[in-house]
Amino acid sequence: MTKPIIEVKNLAKNFGDNVVLKNITEQVNPGQVIVVIGPSGGGKSTFLRCLNLLETPTSGEVDFNGENLTTLDPKRVNELREQMGMVFQNFNLFPNMTVLENIKLAPMKVKGIDDTTAPKRAHELLKQVNLDDHADAFPGSLSGGQAQRVAIARALAMDPKVMLFDEPTSALDPEMVGEVLNVMKELANQGMTMVVVTHEMGFAKSVADRVWFMADGFIQENNTPESFFSDPQTERAQDFLSKILM
Amino acid sequence: MKKKWVLFFALVIALFTGATMTGTTAHAASDDSLAQVQKKGTLVMGTSPDYPPYEFQATVHGKTKVVGMDVAVGEKIAKDLGVKLEVKSMSFDSLLVALQTGKVDMVISGMNPTPARKKNVDFTHTYYQGGYSIVINKADKGIYKNKDSFKGKTIGAQTGSTMYNESKKQTTDTTVKGMTSVSDLILGLQSHKLQGVAMEKPSAEAYVSNNKELASIPSDFDLSASDTSASVAFKKGSTSLVAAANKSVDQIKKQNLVNKDYLPAAGKYLKTNTVNTSMLHYWKAFLKGVEYTLIITVCSVFFGFILGVLLALARMAQGGPLMTGLRWLATAYVEFIRGTPMMVQVMFVYFGLGLVVNLPALMSGIIAISLNSGAYVAEYIRGGINSVDKGQTEAARSLGMSRGYTMRYVVLPQALKNIWPSLGNEFITLIKDSSIVSIIGVSELIFQSNIVRSDTYRGVAPIAVIMVLYFILTFTASRILNFFERRMQHD
Ligand SMILES: Nc1ncnc2c1ncn2[C@@H]1O[C@H](COP(=O)(O)OP(=O)(O)O)[C@@H](O)[C@H]1O
Ligand SMILES: [Mg+2]
Repeated sequence: MTKPIIEVKNLAKNFGDNVVLKNITEQVNPGQVIVVIGPSGGGKSTFLRCLNLLETPTSGEVDFNGENLTTLDPKRVNELREQMGMVFQNFNLFPNMTVLENIKLAPMKVKGIDDTTAPKRAHELLKQVNLDDHADAFPGSLSGGQAQRVAIARALAMDPKVMLFDEPTSALDPEMVGEVLNVMKELANQGMTMVVVTHEMGFAKSVADRVWFMADGFIQENNTPESFFSDPQTERAQDFLSKILM
Repeated sequence: MKKKWVLFFALVIALFTGATMTGTTAHAASDDSLAQVQKKGTLVMGTSPDYPPYEFQATVHGKTKVVGMDVAVGEKIAKDLGVKLEVKSMSFDSLLVALQTGKVDMVISGMNPTPARKKNVDFTHTYYQGGYSIVINKADKGIYKNKDSFKGKTIGAQTGSTMYNESKKQTTDTTVKGMTSVSDLILGLQSHKLQGVAMEKPSAEAYVSNNKELASIPSDFDLSASDTSASVAFKKGSTSLVAAANKSVDQIKKQNLVNKDYLPAAGKYLKTNTVNTSMLHYWKAFLKGVEYTLIITVCSVFFGFILGVLLALARMAQGGPLMTGLRWLATAYVEFIRGTPMMVQVMFVYFGLGLVVNLPALMSGIIAISLNSGAYVAEYIRGGINSVDKGQTEAARSLGMSRGYTMRYVVLPQALKNIWPSLGNEFITLIKDSSIVSIIGVSELIFQSNIVRSDTYRGVAPIAVIMVLYFILTFTASRILNFFERRMQHD
């Protein structure tokens, strides 16, 4: 029996009176690729951000490798965040640093890796995302697809155990979606544990181990991609799929 | 890191509150004023050197120094006490405050021992008995006879002086305008904003003999002897020092030293003064002004920036009661500083803080301007930090970076880049605003130009010179800042 790497227990989150997450209990096993899909405003981003405590849960617990993040001191939370890379819809690259500097900043400052090892590793990662020739470019000069691949490389530079993706392709021009999804597929093939919020159904079908359908603040359906797309169990999911698969 | 700020703020607050509390207890102790001066070995004399022949600045062998009959009196007293005389220049208004706060040991500045002043300071016997004249434009000589000829007109007098008060009291339908320096008054006269300037007779004579356009008429003020006499002022309660000084003063009177030696000597300086009144001749004085203006500005920008960053971070502190307290304090500080005039802050640091630690005027000026600038810079920085996209913080935190690292390596560099133009403006504003410290006698540009003005009896030329100098400074600074701004633009 493998131990889950992420365990969410009775997670709830309110913003003031707005109840955004309701009593979610799920788990992610090492090596699994989870795709979270669902209508906009359903709480997917909030859920993902609760996993690495960018958002503080109102109640419930988030365990990472058996440690309950919600009770840890900030220092330990920082240490565990290193192990959960996150990729954002808007890339959030540091605009005042070159691509290389973006990637090596955290390894050097947080892990104390020296200034010869860190760039070497950064170049390796850039090769992995096919961007090594852009190492000295500033983010402002990159296309969306390139920027998102740099953002992935930056997250990987901390050698995370889990990668969280929040709609990584939603801000991209259609012709650039493929290059980013390919990098993600490769990552999945290498055995990376991933939680991916996306509207790319093709990716979900071909890469996901499980699909979590999220709406109205909780996970309505946790299914394999095959049965989720061919035979959704909940009415909410049937409704959602009928709208997007037209 | 955090502890250091707390300490720093505690220190600032302690200095501020301490300054106001210890003030009243200082002179309760028994009188050891004489012993203290002798132990120090120097006697510090405060004076407002724009009142020839009492006191004024003269260029002697290329160096400017304060001379005049009052300085001679001061030298005599110091010599008789067996100590060295040190002359400190400041505006007439500031003199008694400086005395009460221990910035100077005595004031000799043609000061009349009026009953009002006697309440606050102790005076020696009179060392000189003068009288009042009114200086007018020579062209008006037939029009004005004495104080009563100025109905519907304006006469000027040095703010805070006896002449000012008497002019107000003893004229009817006459506007009395006060200005800080006599050279400004003379300028006002020559530009016909004033029709007459009331001043002591020896001063009037000095101005008239040095400026062919001016004439002097008797004032005919009805005055008691104490209103026209000049005495040396000491801090209230320094009986032993006053007694010692009185010995010197009595000798001066008995031997008629003022009329026999001091006034003629002062007159000689006045002559050398008017030999060469070209602005070029005073380049050293102006250079010194530029130097001090730059020192004050650069130091204040540096410390103001550091303080500004700390304040901005403190204003955004989040967490327990300590952080809330810190945030509250920083907010209060910023609001308070921004809600009070810089001039008052400069005086408060120099005179108020001076009760606790004796800071030189230059340092007081730098401290005051840094404290002031810090409050403004803090607001720019806070705005800059808020202008950085929240996604930047989230990206950094998701990489495991702590709050502090995120601020230091990701948010602050971008914030500073965003607010660089505002910071540059602050720097340029400071070049100009540093002129405020002239009121406590720091020899920056304005102060130096005033010296040159009273030195040369030329009102406008020195102002024109420093205007050009200020412009050169600010223009150069803005070019340099633009250069760096362009270098920072790479996205
Ligand atoms: N920082 C916030 N403050 C207040 N409300 C928020 C905040 N973030 C998200 N919400 C609200 O939470 C709900 C879910 O948002 P989100 O998690 O972004 O959904 P999704 O990613 O599925 O579109 C929305 O109603 C949104 O308005
Ligand atoms: Mg979202």
